[in-house]
Parts: sequence; structure tokens; C-alpha cells
Amino acid sequence: MSASGRIIADFKANRRPIRLLGASGQLGYGIPAKSFSAGLDRRPDLIGCDMGSIDIGPTYLGKGEMATSPEATRRDLRRVLHAARDLDVPLVIGSAGSAGAMPHLDATLALLRDIGRADGRHFRMAVMRADIARPYLHDAVRSGRVVSFDGMPALTDDDITAAAHIVGQMGMGPFRQALAADVDVIVAGRACDTAIFASLPAVLGFPVGLAMHMAKIIECGSLCCIPGGRDPILATLDDTGFVLESMNPERRATPTSVAAHSLYEQSDPFTVQEPDGELDLTRAHYEAVDDRRTRVSGAAWRDSTSPTIKLEGACKIGERAVLLCGSADPRFIAQCKDLLPKVADVVRDLVCEDQPLDYTLRFRVYGIDGVRMVVPDNEPSPGEVFIMGECIAPTRERAAEVVRSCKQFLLHYGYPSRLSTAGNVAFPFTPPEVSLGAAYRFNVYHLLQVTDPDTLFPVEIEDV
Amino acid sequence: MRLSDIAQVIRSKNAGPRRLTLDIMFASDADYQRVAQSPALGAENIGRLYRVPADQVTIIPYPVGRAIKIVMARAIMAGDPGDLDVYGAQQHAPLLGIEI
Repeated sequence: MSASGRIIADFKANRRPIRLLGASGQLGYGIPAKSFSAGLDRRPDLIGCDMGSIDIGPTYLGKGEMATSPEATRRDLRRVLHAARDLDVPLVIGSAGSAGAMPHLDATLALLRDIGRADGRHFRMAVMRADIARPYLHDAVRSGRVVSFDGMPALTDDDITAAAHIVGQMGMGPFRQALAADVDVIVAGRACDTAIFASLPAVLGFPVGLAMHMAKIIECGSLCCIPGGRDPILATLDDTGFVLESMNPERRATPTSVAAHSLYEQSDPFTVQEPDGELDLTRAHYEAVDDRRTRVSGAAWRDSTSPTIKLEGACKIGERAVLLCGSADPRFIAQCKDLLPKVADVVRDLVCEDQPLDYTLRFRVYGIDGVRMVVPDNEPSPGEVFIMGECIAPTRERAAEVVRSCKQFLLHYGYPSRLSTAGNVAFPFTPPEVSLGAAYRFNVYHLLQVTDPDTLFPVEIEDV
Repeated sequence: MRLSDIAQVIRSKNAGPRRLTLDIMFASDADYQRVAQSPALGAENIGRLYRVPADQVTIIPYPVGRAIKIVMARAIMAGDPGDLDVYGAQQHAPLLGIEI
């Protein structure tokens, strides 16, 4: 029997509180060895790791690349795989490879197979792909089952065609099917982070509201503690609540710190929308067990009568190149917001002499308006600024041509009252122009209405 | 008194790629109450600071976490050309100097 089958049988024979270890909120950035080992000493019934997010931006999804380095990812996967196999408990990984599309999932699976082979580990693995087939999506758009939210324009057939990858965020259903299929390891493409941890308790009959609330907290590791951090966290769930405890003794889960975590990256601290329903936290109650453990109760769950799947897709918008430089000249700095567009005009006249204007060139002036989306009027002029010129063009060569021309004309651009006639900017190194590769943007961020969402994410079983 | 002198945490982050959320957290219930009741943290004033119409700013008091949440649309979707802050993690600065 494999790990999930063993746990399910174990709970059937002897029902008790369940212990879940949130090993990492972002697998591939290192798991602190000491607190992970402390977590294993508590004999968890499941080890879970979230591996991805939409927060990292569109390029990883579009390019099909992981945000984490292959070496660090392999090290983390090896650590959690060995731990789960030693304890013979399910290892559950969600949003594989940062963005959870086919190349991300395949790269994660390749690492797991390779680790298994190299270390002589055998395990039964469930794999759930999150990619949504394009013909299916075209049909869904035509039948009005794709809706916009958060002000996103309506999804078009062109968007679907243009996207390099389109994934759906799967909920608990596919995880529950995988657990029921008697497996040791579950690897999902793009998935709700809650499903990683809530699915096993749901299969075992624990209240879904409590399981979801617990999952929402422990998927971030010890971030809900004071001080917050990435150490593994243990949750012990029973039928009326759950207790949270960081596996780093210096991190304290207090009622306020845990309650405050409901704010994190959420637009509403009282309700959390999930594919299968809605988590209601209005009656959530947080109570100190001691100075570093908190017991949480009161979360309610309402099943959805009309399930929706959140879609994410990214399309290529060109090739990106940047120019990196700075200035310490007060006259240049005072005028640079006017001068930079003039430099851009000079560049355009040069590179568009016999070609159309087929690129964008913009400048972020750090020290003035490089970071803030809203800048107050009449701020004092800074002593120095960093300037990043960014070009997005149809080809890598074209983007490089634009930023290289820009470098030269920015350096030598003449303006009234100029004193520093040998050069307007400092380069931290040369070449100061960097080609960054393909640039993407999110062109799919919509809700798909679907009566049976689980059919979108079939469970495949593989023996490693 | 400035908000940055009273609050324990003042932070910003995306809530999905199209929305920005700002959290202000306090060390004591008294600090929380004082700020939560101040018109300085009303949608009107926040909208003015972020140059967003007040009716597009949501203010959510969250007493159990001694916190106030502010939610608004991002003018540029995270990662789109021209975005300045893909994670939205550095958009809290306009809040720091609010007089309570």
C-alpha cells in the first residue's frame, strides 16, 4: 500500500487529530534544515509544499521557465521527498515549477524522477496537469462561460491563440482523486495553494472550513508568526479547530499574528473564494495555547453551486533590452524628465530612418519616479539618480540596436546650461546594455464557469 | 502624529495582478482604534493620495488582526509594459506621512 492509502486506512481504524507540515511556501528557495527536521520529529501525516504563484509576473508562465534555480529546486525536492518516504506519508506539491504549466510541471517531474533514480527511491506518483486545451477554451468563450473580473477586458479568441501557456488553478477535486488512488507523491501543475493541505483532511472527513483556513495559513510556512519567516510550520487539526506551531522556536504564532495573516495578499480578510466554494472567516476565533502556539476555530465553508476556475495565460510581447546608467549632475537631474523623451526622439530618428517605429522605449528614473506608481508634486531633487531605459522590440537585435543607440545619445545629449560636456551619465560597467530575452504580459486572467471542474485536471499515475 | 509613528506594519502587495492591497497593522488596540476612527484613513483621503476616485477605494477595518486593509485597482496590470513594481511591494510610501 502507498502512503495516501495507508493514512486513509489508518484514520478509518483510529480517528485522531491530523498533523500537517507546511514545509515551504515557495519550494526552491531553500528549506531551513533545523526547523524541517524538528517538523519531521513531530511525525506529520502529510508534508506539503507550494511551489508557485502568479505574483512572480507573466514571464515565467510565458517562457515556461522556473523562477528558482535548478540546483536549489533539486535540493529542496530531494529533502522533502526523502522525508516523506522515510515517514511513509504523502508528499503534496502544488503549482509545480513556479507557474504550473506543462514545461514547469515536466521540469519538476524530471527532477523527482532523477532524484528517485540517483538515490534508489521508489514511489507511486500522481500527476495533475493544469494546462487548459485551446479548443475547449475557444468553445467556452463562444458559449459565454468565460467571465472577466477585476476590470480585465473580455477574453477573445485572439488572446487564446496568442498565449504561450494557459493554465487553470485547480481546487481540491483532483487532489482528492489522487489521494484516493493510493499514491506516495502528488505533483500538481497550477493549483490553489489551499488544495495542497486541505484535500487530505477533507478526504478524512474533517470540516472543510477549518481545513481550508488552516491550509491558507500554513501554505506560507511560518509567515503567520512573529517574527514571520520561511521555516516549516506544523498544524494539528481536529473537528473543532487547529493549532499552529512554527518549527523554529524563535517564531511565535500569536492570535494577532495569525489573524493578521488573513490580510496577506488578499483583497478581503473575511472571505476567500475557492473553485469549489467560499471560505467564510467572519466567525474565525484565535486563541493562545501558550506564548508560541495559537488555536484557530470558527471558519465556515459554503460549497459553490456554480464552480469557477481561475485562468492564467501569458503572451509574448517582444524582446526586452535595457540600458543601465546613473547621473550625479544637478542640472541634468533637474531636467531629465524633459530631456529623456528628447533623447528618445533622437534615437527614433536614427533607428527608424529606413524602418517603421516598431518598438517602445521608456525610462524609469530611480530617485525620482522609478518605483512609486504615484509621486507627490514638488519633491526635492535627489543628489543622484539611476536611469533604466527599457526597450521592447520585435527582435532581440532590434531591441539591442535601440538601447545601444540610446546609450550613446543619452551620454552626449546637449541641453541648455549643460556644464558636464564630457558625458551626462555614469555607467556602472560596460557594456551597459543588457538583452533580457522575451518579454510577456498576462493576457488571460479570467474565470471559467464549469460544471465539473475536475474533468479539466485528470489524474495520471506513474511508478518511479 | 504621523501614521508611520503609530503603526507597527505599513505594507503593500498585489492581491492578484490587477489589484493593490495596503495593510496597516498596530501593536495595541488603542492605536488601532485611534487610527480606525480617523478620517485620514477614509476612502476620500486615500483616493486623493493614490490619485484614484474615492469610490474605487475599499477600506476594510479588521479589528481581530488590529489592522486596516485598503484595496484599489492597479493602474497597470502587474508585469505589463510600464509597470514599476511587479509584486506591488513598494507602494506604501504615500501612507507613511498621513497625519492622524
